[in-house]
Amino acid sequence: MNLIYTSIGFFALAALLGMYLLTFVLRGKETPKAIVFSHGPMAVVGLVLLIIYIARGGPNPWESLVLFVLAALGGLYMISRDLTGRPIPKALAVGHGLLAVGGFVLLLVFAFGD
Amino acid sequence: METQSFWEATTPQRPDYPTLDGGLRVDVAIIGGGITGITAAHQLAKAGKRVAVLEARRVGGGTTGWSTGNLYVPVGPYFHHIAKTRSQEVASTVAQARFTALNFIEQHAQQYSIDCHFARRPWYFFTQEEDMVSNIEKEAEALQQAGMATEFVTQVPGLRFDSVQRAVRMDGQARFHPLRYVLGLAKAVTQMGGQIYEHTTVLDLKEEEDHCLLKTTHGTVTCNQMIIATHIPIGIHSVQTVAAPYRSYVVAMRLKSGAYPDAYYWHNDKTHHAITTHSTDSMELDMLMIAGNHHKTGQASHQEYQHYFNELEAYARQHFDIASVEFRWSAQHYRSGDGVPYIGLTHKSAKRTYIATGFYADGLTYGTVAGIQLADTIAGEGSPWLEAFDATRGTNLSTAGEFIKENANVAAQYLKDIPAGQASHFSDIGPGEGKTIEVDSEKLAVYRDEHSQLHVCSAVCTHMKCIVNWNNAEKTWDCPCHGSRFMIDGSVIEGPAILNLERKAIDPTSGHLLESGGKTSGEREINNPIT
Ligand SMILES: Cc1cc2nc3c(=O)[nH]c(=O)nc-3n(C[C@H](O)[C@H](O)[C@H](O)COP(=O)(O)OP(=O)(O)OC[C@H]3O[C@@H](n4cnc5c(N)ncnc54)[C@H](O)[C@@H]3O)c2cc1C
Ligand code: FES
Repeated sequence: MNLIYTSIGFFALAALLGMYLLTFVLRGKETPKAIVFSHGPMAVVGLVLLIIYIARGGPNPWESLVLFVLAALGGLYMISRDLTGRPIPKALAVGHGLLAVGGFVLLLVFAFGD
Repeated sequence: METQSFWEATTPQRPDYPTLDGGLRVDVAIIGGGITGITAAHQLAKAGKRVAVLEARRVGGGTTGWSTGNLYVPVGPYFHHIAKTRSQEVASTVAQARFTALNFIEQHAQQYSIDCHFARRPWYFFTQEEDMVSNIEKEAEALQQAGMATEFVTQVPGLRFDSVQRAVRMDGQARFHPLRYVLGLAKAVTQMGGQIYEHTTVLDLKEEEDHCLLKTTHGTVTCNQMIIATHIPIGIHSVQTVAAPYRSYVVAMRLKSGAYPDAYYWHNDKTHHAITTHSTDSMELDMLMIAGNHHKTGQASHQEYQHYFNELEAYARQHFDIASVEFRWSAQHYRSGDGVPYIGLTHKSAKRTYIATGFYADGLTYGTVAGIQLADTIAGEGSPWLEAFDATRGTNLSTAGEFIKENANVAAQYLKDIPAGQASHFSDIGPGEGKTIEVDSEKLAVYRDEHSQLHVCSAVCTHMKCIVNWNNAEKTWDCPCHGSRFMIDGSVIEGPAILNLERKAIDPTSGHLLESGGKTSGEREINNPIT
């Protein structure tokens, strides 16, 4: 279970940075790249830990994993648009956040629910 | 002292080429009118191709016209290194290609009577430090193995350096005036029916199934093949993950004695200095140049960039009887992962788009190699150098370290882009000073001129969005990621960026940004082409 708790820690940090980034996207401002390049790797570490946990077998939060993977794909698409000078669709940024929040809530339920 | 290239200052009668006006259909379009683009255009026009050179600024006005005018077979990253990262065969091919290019320049300077002061002279490579001796010995051996005759010498003629530990000499190298040469070759291009357009920036390029399409500031060009001869490919290209940009510095001086040594020297101790001499307006040598002190573009360790010039001047004063400093300038070079340039098709699935980059500061010869090789390939004649310079070769095990180092460095530049709040204000910027500051959550590149007028642009590089840094010697904004450089009004000078920095307007009373309307920040007029 330690893996899951660490994973939750990384996802929580990634979520904080993600919310901050969202304020830039919604205002149509350049995203600060230090935050972008911290947010992504933190979420990746959380995701890798989650995958390791699931790979070990037993009951697992696979619904959460699916949502996080979808969020990650959205994130990769957004960063590729951002760095090549194309605007980030606001709906996509919000959708990416909602997917990640969904995955996070399911992960919390799995870790701390009965 | 303002920076000014000796070559620009000593080129009389620079012809004006027209700006493109409307649509154009040619066999081959060449982006960039430096030595690479003009040599390629020359060879293609000679082979009967309809060719057009599209140059954003002036022909030869890029790095070619800001170099140091030396022609030589040896290379900055060393042949013994290339033999290790690639193979002895590749090292030999590179040496042969450079030898051929040197002869090509001599032959064409003569053929077209280009008044470019071409003259053969020896190259010396020496050190005063014991622990650099083996480096020189290894390089001499590598040159020998590549079929180039070198000899160890005990004296380095023309210089007064004490206690030289090891020195090697190679005859038959040369000097020339690179700008005059390129302009002379460009004239020959037009005489053979080739077209050259200046002040015509390529904004977008695309390879289609049966043609290529280029969009410029003044019209579109359709062609069968295109060569991106812009020193580093414009737009976004995977080669930018290894072709690291470096700035190096040059100081040109007159000597009291007038005893200008007639040779090209590499003095390699802990630091590298290149010593050369040239002539202003005749074959008579009257200018000493010292070059060196490179650092990654936009990442100077000294905030005061003049330091780099001052250090070269101090070195010169230590070893020569300097009468006056006449010119100071700096220019950019791009490295490669394994020490060999990337010349050829742009990527594995490309059929019509060619690049040439990663020349280090050896690119007057490499640019000529590239021009010859690319033209031969396009004209269907094949080239014995294709494999050695293959631009799609990627990273191998021996260069993986370099790849990681380079990309970690770029990542570190992105990590400096932290939201700093209003760290400093317009009033903190003195006359003649530039700073990046944050206003209304936007990073701005702000320069205050001598009349206290502010020049404000977005500090976000239009290539891949690193934050530009101020270069106070050249009064430019330099990007620390892949080396794009911009003028104080935001216009692109060089590097992979195509679009200018976005100009910003501020309300003088409140100090806030005025809405520019329309686009959101981060959105560009065009997408960066993936080249
Ligand atoms: C300080 C210094 C000294 C050097 N000294 C030597 C030397 O002594 N010997 C040697 O062999 N090499 C030397 N080099 C290296 C050599 O100068 C360069 O490698 C060589 O000039 C590169 O030529 P190029 O034609 O590829 O690029 P450039 O000369 O830079 O030409 C590229 C051209 O492309 C144009 N361009 C860019 N973007 C666009 C666009 N979007 N649309 C249209 N046009 C565009 C630019 O305006 C430019 O004119 C030196 C380099 C440095 C930095
Ligand atoms: S040059 Fe690539 S981000 Fe500026």
